[in-house]
Amino acid sequence: MIKKMLIVDDEIEICEFLKIFFEDRDYKVATGFSGEEALEKVASFQPDVVLLDIQMPGMDGLKVLKKIKAEHPKIKVIMVTAVETGDKIEEAMRYGADNYITKPLSLEYLEKDVQDKISLFAKGA
Amino acid sequence: MIQKEGSPIFNKTMLFHLRSPRSVLKKVLVGLILFFIGALVAYVLPFLLPSAAAVWGRHPLTPIFVMTVIYLLAYKPVERFVKGLLEKHFFHKKSFTQMTLMGLADDLAINLDLQEISNLVVNTFGEVLHLKTVALLVPDPVQNNFEVASAYGWQISASKRLRLAVDAPLVRVIHESGPHILVRGLLLQSLSWQEANALSHDFDMLQAGWVMPLFVKGELVGLVAFGALHPDTMFDQSDFHFFREFAGVIARSIHNALVVKRLRQLNLELQDSQSQWIQKTKLNAIEQLAAGIAHEIHNPLAIISGKAQVLLMQKGPKQLEQNVQDALNAIVKQTRRAADITKKLLMYSQGARGPQEKVSLERVLDETLALLAYQASLDQIEITKTLDPELPQYYANMQEVREIFLNLLLNAVEAVGTQGKIQVELKYRRDEELVEILCADTGKGIPEEHLDKVFNPFYTTRHEAVGLGLFVTKQIVHRYGGAIRVESREGEGSLFMVQLPYVAEVPQAAETEKKGTFAFVSGTEK
Repeated sequence: MIKKMLIVDDEIEICEFLKIFFEDRDYKVATGFSGEEALEKVASFQPDVVLLDIQMPGMDGLKVLKKIKAEHPKIKVIMVTAVETGDKIEEAMRYGADNYITKPLSLEYLEKDVQDKISLFAKGA
Repeated sequence: MIQKEGSPIFNKTMLFHLRSPRSVLKKVLVGLILFFIGALVAYVLPFLLPSAAAVWGRHPLTPIFVMTVIYLLAYKPVERFVKGLLEKHFFHKKSFTQMTLMGLADDLAINLDLQEISNLVVNTFGEVLHLKTVALLVPDPVQNNFEVASAYGWQISASKRLRLAVDAPLVRVIHESGPHILVRGLLLQSLSWQEANALSHDFDMLQAGWVMPLFVKGELVGLVAFGALHPDTMFDQSDFHFFREFAGVIARSIHNALVVKRLRQLNLELQDSQSQWIQKTKLNAIEQLAAGIAHEIHNPLAIISGKAQVLLMQKGPKQLEQNVQDALNAIVKQTRRAADITKKLLMYSQGARGPQEKVSLERVLDETLALLAYQASLDQIEITKTLDPELPQYYANMQEVREIFLNLLLNAVEAVGTQGKIQVELKYRRDEELVEILCADTGKGIPEEHLDKVFNPFYTTRHEAVGLGLFVTKQIVHRYGGAIRVESREGEGSLFMVQLPYVAEVPQAAETEKKGTFAFVSGTEK
């Protein structure tokens, strides 16, 4: 089974190293650098899991999350944030985010979490 | 209140209807002297001087008329003379008493400290007049009653508990009678059984035989209640006159001191709300700054750390050389350390808005100890805790309390290094309404010249640490109106003491909305 993952962050470098890391682990990875691009990619690429930055210029992560969960409720979404402020994370969890992780990222933890979400996705949960 | 002349329960003359043996003696002496002079002039003089006999005439009532005239004319001067004589030779003490009290009045006139004034009044009064008890009561505007400002011959705890309601029978009588000294026995005799009963309760409570009201311009600013050592102690009319004068002086001093006290209080309240406002503004500024920094710095840190991790964790046959691996590991670790600074700053600025709840300090301590147990066992550190069995639940923000414990304990663990002891103690001081956290370690101690710096931000002796732990702890403790201090001896260990005012209930229970549930997962620097 192919594991498909979409990485969304306005910082191109972040998208790049995550892409290398997960491709190294046999994931099929797509990237998006804005909220709008993320929604396009969700429709065309049909990922199992989305890694979504909260703070982005223009359409932010929370809006994207709402749209994804409304249109594709099965897709798992992990929020990424640079600032651990309760409000935004709480809001994201309310909109149905599956987890959140803070920058700087621990790739070891992230990999495990993505793996968990993918197996959940496979079960259709 | 204006004094009502001839009020039903009270009249002026009754109050001064007192005869001490002293004044009886005085009156007898004056009478004897006048009789002697009268008799001399009326009966003896006509025999010696025939011309005078001619003037007196032979009417039998003439000598009596002459005696009456002499009596009326000479009474006042003779009385003054006898009084002076008596005071000079027999009642020296009394004039000494008056002089002392008048001297006190002079001292009071220039004093503006309510406590000092009260202490001076009750102590001087008690000592000089040989009284058993003296209590000076002043109005407490907050509780709307009279409280003891200072007491003589009282147990401090008993005098502190003493309260006189503004509508107590005694206060009502004072308002009706005006600035006269109230004498317990006489007053009670003049009243009906029920009225006397209610009033005697107030006198008993004050342990007083006399009450001296303190009026300034018709306003009751306080009262002095005093009781004598011997039940048959009496004061005479001139004493009461003197007391009234004296009461006027005390009343003015107390009035001024009360005004000053109120002004000081208002000033403090103003300063308090101002500093709260400044603190809030400061916190908001720090929060914005920290959030901005976090966003701007955490992204590059994430890239640095992420790229290093990608290299470290890459799959495939090629293995990195050890020195490269070490360098990459160091990069990952140091980026996390840098990120911790902004996390802590954010935590500190947001803490103030966290929800308050009932917190079991014991449970939070146990949770924190559990976090540290593994590390402590590795370092052979023995941690013991002592709990006050009366320790109540504490109203606070759970995360903040956790932060206090964690920082104190982490600091202690770090100070000990390997092999040593840490003692944590939780105490409840019921009298002072304080909860106390004591954390003692047998670590390396803090050099004396650094003692005042340990709570400064970014102060640390470790390379690895950020140096915000104790700073954040101090900020939290201050936010709860508490205090933190440290005692330390280099090479022997340190003792950190945190005192938090005990709050049984949160002031407004409105803040029940769970906020900041995900605020942070406490990050220990490792």
